[in-house]
Amino acid sequence: MTNNVGPTLLTGERAARLRRAVPTLLLLLGLVVASLLSGGIDGLRLASPDRSRVDQLRAAIRDLPDGALVLIACDADLGTYPEIRATTRAAIDDLAARGARLAIVSFTPEGRAIAAAERARIARAGTEDPPADLGFVAGAEAGLVRSIASLVPEDAEGATFDAIREGGGGIGAFDMVLIVSGSDISARSWVEQVGSRLPDLSMVAIAPTFLDPELEPYLRSGQLTALLSTLREGVAYAQAVAAGSTSSRGPTPGPLPMLVGMLIALAVLAEGAFRRLVRRGRRSPGPSPS
Amino acid sequence: MRRSILAGTVLVTGLLVLLDLMIVNPSLDDAAGAVNELLVLLAAGAAVGGGATLVAHHARALAAGDGDSTGSTVLLVGMAAILLAGLRPGSTGSSDPVVLWLVAALLAPIAASVFALLFIFLLGALRRGFTLRVRETSLMAGAAAVVIVLLLPVGGAAGDWLAAGAGWVRDVPLAGVFRGLLIGIGILVAVSAARSLMALDRDDE
Repeated sequence: MTNNVGPTLLTGERAARLRRAVPTLLLLLGLVVASLLSGGIDGLRLASPDRSRVDQLRAAIRDLPDGALVLIACDADLGTYPEIRATTRAAIDDLAARGARLAIVSFTPEGRAIAAAERARIARAGTEDPPADLGFVAGAEAGLVRSIASLVPEDAEGATFDAIREGGGGIGAFDMVLIVSGSDISARSWVEQVGSRLPDLSMVAIAPTFLDPELEPYLRSGQLTALLSTLREGVAYAQAVAAGSTSSRGPTPGPLPMLVGMLIALAVLAEGAFRRLVRRGRRSPGPSPS
Repeated sequence: MRRSILAGTVLVTGLLVLLDLMIVNPSLDDAAGAVNELLVLLAAGAAVGGGATLVAHHARALAAGDGDSTGSTVLLVGMAAILLAGLRPGSTGSSDPVVLWLVAALLAPIAASVFALLFIFLLGALRRGFTLRVRETSLMAGAAAVVIVLLLPVGGAAGDWLAAGAGWVRDVPLAGVFRGLLIGIGILVAVSAARSLMALDRDDE
């Protein structure tokens, strides 16, 4: 008897578990299909129609002197980097196309991992020289402050390192800093720790959307020269850079998967609210007999 | 005695850093730089200490058979793999190809996947929230729905209008609330820093 019931229960449980997983699997399937169909659909546009932020960053890069030294401060998070990856790569291409001499540094371990991977990607692609590697600086914000005076590793050799040494060896040697922000060290840390000590240094930032409300005031006050802090601004910037370049800068998110995900989210919210309304309607007593 | 040593240390270092920000003086700059070097050492020590404590905790849990043994094993193996790849003889540290492969092929996709799961879990949590805390969840879901609609990636005049609306939400209500929070946090930090510099604590009130 027991032998018969056991497997039946188990199968029933498994079937119930599978039924519960069906909506999630359908959601993932929908997103995968939308990603595959994403190329060029009329009526959809992910890039921000407001190009003012894009123009700010492009103007900041355009105004750099010939052979300018630009520091890329890569401190993105592994979790949110996919949101800004295409924008960061487009900015590196934009700077390289302008003839800037690039160097990259990180103040967080995650940022260092991303920076090393990006350098390796650029080296593999072979279309441009990877940024000079200034490595990882320990000490978080204290390390950032120390880097104002000294940033170049003692054993580093190369034209870019020499140019930084000639300029004093610290952050002040650079004409511009491109801050790839994450949650631990963001453009806010740079404005607070570096901006107050080097007020003439131009700082531009790329940040995931969750940092936008925190960084917006710094852009308005002029402490940041330019800021791209939403996915739509990033896509608009990547498209603007791609329009004048033939090199690839990795996958840019398409509008269709975003739309599908948003519609699913709206449907789930509406279903939850509707279910609640129905339940409340059932619970509320009818009109009392007079 | 202990309190006065601590307060004195905070007072001296705090004033030194403040003066260094305000006055251009090489000697002051050197002294503030030395304090900063100590801070860097402290942060590095804390990071190594934190890692060692994590290893000790999970090794102890594995030995005692407590908690999630699979999780502890994965964590210890992962730490060992990264340390081995970065510190083995001949390795170039964080630029070593093995470390780069571990990061690019394993760590980055895993972290991004976990982050992407937030979408599903958040929707699940909202659905459950409707049955537990109706008013708060309705408010949150309503605001989320408005923002989602404003961010819909549609083109044409409708898309421009929605994007302008999203920009207004970001620049006015959201930025206003956030700025208020930041100003509040700034005032609190300034007050607590001033209290530390003046060696005041709850006993003095």
